[in-house]
Amino acid sequence: MTSRGTPSRFLQSVLQNGLGRYVCQLKRISLIFSKKSPSSRGVREFIEEGVVDFAKKNPGTVVYVSPQSCTTPKIVAEYLNGNVREEAVHSKAAQEVAALVQKLSEQSGLDVIRIRKPFHTNSPSIQGQWHPFTNRPPSIGPVQPRKTPQ
Amino acid sequence: MSSFTKSAQQWASFARSWFLIDARLQPPGKIASMCSVRLQGKHKPIYHALSDCGDHVVIFNTRHIAFSGNKWEQKVYSSHTGYPGGFKQVTAAQLHHKDPIAIIKLAVYGMLPKNLHRRTMMQRLHLFPDDVIPEDILHNLTEELPQPRVIPKKLNEYSQEEIDAFPVLWTPPKDYRMK
Repeated sequence: MTSRGTPSRFLQSVLQNGLGRYVCQLKRISLIFSKKSPSSRGVREFIEEGVVDFAKKNPGTVVYVSPQSCTTPKIVAEYLNGNVREEAVHSKAAQEVAALVQKLSEQSGLDVIRIRKPFHTNSPSIQGQWHPFTNRPPSIGPVQPRKTPQ
Repeated sequence: MSSFTKSAQQWASFARSWFLIDARLQPPGKIASMCSVRLQGKHKPIYHALSDCGDHVVIFNTRHIAFSGNKWEQKVYSSHTGYPGGFKQVTAAQLHHKDPIAIIKLAVYGMLPKNLHRRTMMQRLHLFPDDVIPEDILHNLTEELPQPRVIPKKLNEYSQEEIDAFPVLWTPPKDYRMK
């Protein structure tokens, strides 16, 4: 079975985010849960314990907590590029919900699909990444055109 | 490694260098092949066709390039204006007299890959007919590239001591008439 027919994209970030400064791409996150149902217990615990800390840590994200009479609790994440991701958190523990919220806040909002040319190394360089001045002969002072006899 | 972050490392890796080349008495083709590699970014270990990693190249003294052989008279640059009878042909000498940066520019343009990035890469090529380079470009330079050809020394650049020290294979007789 090949994956050629599936949607794919190249590895990218939104508007070269993080090259200069990093802007959190998560715009709004809504925790939709039920006050009564046992499947929302983990979400309720997360709201009691961790949601205020999360909101304080991420001032660029709006956090909504909306109790509804729903059977399946879910997390709706809206990103700056307009994408909306819904994650069902049916009977998940508070730690799992916290990890999922953290993951959603770190994502860029681009579709999670197959990456073309997924470059990867199991043995990263211990010398550090290459940059234009690696192995370049040292020079004193600014580079100037030499004055040649006319 | 702890002193700089990953984003600064990323920034450093993809920073554009500015190379300086002195074209005095150099063959245009050799200059152009050095340039096209650097304009495409193919000299970098991080090269990838999709990542726009070309560098800037500044060439000065393009007025003083040197063609070998009889290319100044026999090399022909052709163009067509698009109108009937608009086929123009000029020799290298005529073109160089009209525009002292045109020969290098055409040589580099021909060596770059023929795709949509070609015009972008040409915008990163800065050509100056003489050794006058604007101040803002001088501030950006990071490295001067060695010239591809060693400039031969002229006879009037040798001192008298060097001329006397040159080994003489044959001593002319006193009545020998120098031409």
